[in-house]
Amino acid sequence: MNPLALLQNALVVGAVLFALGLVGMLARRNLIVMFLSAELMLQGVSVSLVAWSRFHGDWGGQVLVIFVLTVAACEAAIALVLVLQAFARTGRLDAAAWQALREDNLARSVDRELPAVETVPLTFPRLTPAGVRPAADEDELLQREHV
Amino acid sequence: MIVAALPLPAPGTILTASVAAAAASLWLLLPRGAERRLARWAGAALGAAALAGLVLTGRRLGGLGEEAVFLVVSLVAVISGAATVVSRSPVYAAIWFALALAGVAGVLLVLGAQFLGVATIVVYAGAILVMFLFVLMLAQPSGMAPYDRVSNEPLLAAVAGAVLLGLLSLVVGRLSAETSACCRLPSRATALKAADAAGGPPVAVAADPLAADHVARLGGELFGRHLLAVEVAGVLLLVALVGSIAIVSRHGDPSGELAAPGGTRR
Repeated sequence: MNPLALLQNALVVGAVLFALGLVGMLARRNLIVMFLSAELMLQGVSVSLVAWSRFHGDWGGQVLVIFVLTVAACEAAIALVLVLQAFARTGRLDAAAWQALREDNLARSVDRELPAVETVPLTFPRLTPAGVRPAADEDELLQREHV
Repeated sequence: MIVAALPLPAPGTILTASVAAAAASLWLLLPRGAERRLARWAGAALGAAALAGLVLTGRRLGGLGEEAVFLVVSLVAVISGAATVVSRSPVYAAIWFALALAGVAGVLLVLGAQFLGVATIVVYAGAILVMFLFVLMLAQPSGMAPYDRVSNEPLLAAVAGAVLLGLLSLVVGRLSAETSACCRLPSRATALKAADAAGGPPVAVAADPLAADHVARLGGELFGRHLLAVEVAGVLLLVALVGSIAIVSRHGDPSGELAAPGGTRR
């Protein structure tokens, strides 16, 4: 296998994952999706580190990825607790709910009016009737009523 | 190869076009208020075109089986990562992220990091992601929240991601064997040959990531050369544990409904 080609392909995969995480971190407003994007960036970095580790024949990259895993676990614990506290205060997972923390000279971001979510009425499947309805025997019906 | 026989434009052109297509696809796919089915289909088509361009500019690995495996796992990782970013529902985003983790674990396995591939699945998908889902279930208001249906500046975010990806892939494409192999340790065979020629023991031998006792060697490196860092990581885990409990118990539930009876509150 060509080691340089493997290195380049893996580095491109890592770069794509990192860029995707960056876009998610910048664009999304849900705090939890923002943290998922941060984790996606960490995954991109891990792929790059392991690719360099493989290319150089050195364990350093893999050891560093183990520490990345550790720090990611700590970060997730602390961050999710903070997200829960933020949710308990505002009732929303919205990053814009905390825009009072912005700088003085920045404009306040105002939400646009959103169109209502179209609610699709629930439709359940109906079984098509199968077989033939049995012919009612009038005598038997009469007898049943007496019973 | 068939691909090489086709009259393709230069790799740089394909790369630029696919990065631009990826940015446009993300811009179309990011939630922006109203549901637009046409934009979604156009975004998916552009994303597929961008992925095809990136695959075309990828280097040949040599073996067909390895190429196929690497292609499949990296496509799973990248497509699920994109779906994580653009899903409107955070629960679906978390599920897509689990699939992206599976793809990343596959890439790590192809790269020869067996322990890290398994650890990614166990630690990330098994522990961290489940914690995310717990918090989602605790904190998700009913229905689709309005802040999940809009994005902050989707155009600027997509352009920023495209610029970053373009620069990184430019640097990656310029890597050559001469410049990047400066610090590369000799492989075991080369080192043994050199040692035989010199008549002495080899000084530095590259670690063989594909060795049978891969995990043992990684553990030896981790607990030998990086022992202090392991201790520091342990302290970090303890601090995170204590800190998260302290944050919850100090500021949690302002109404006091959830406080344990008889619990001390500061």
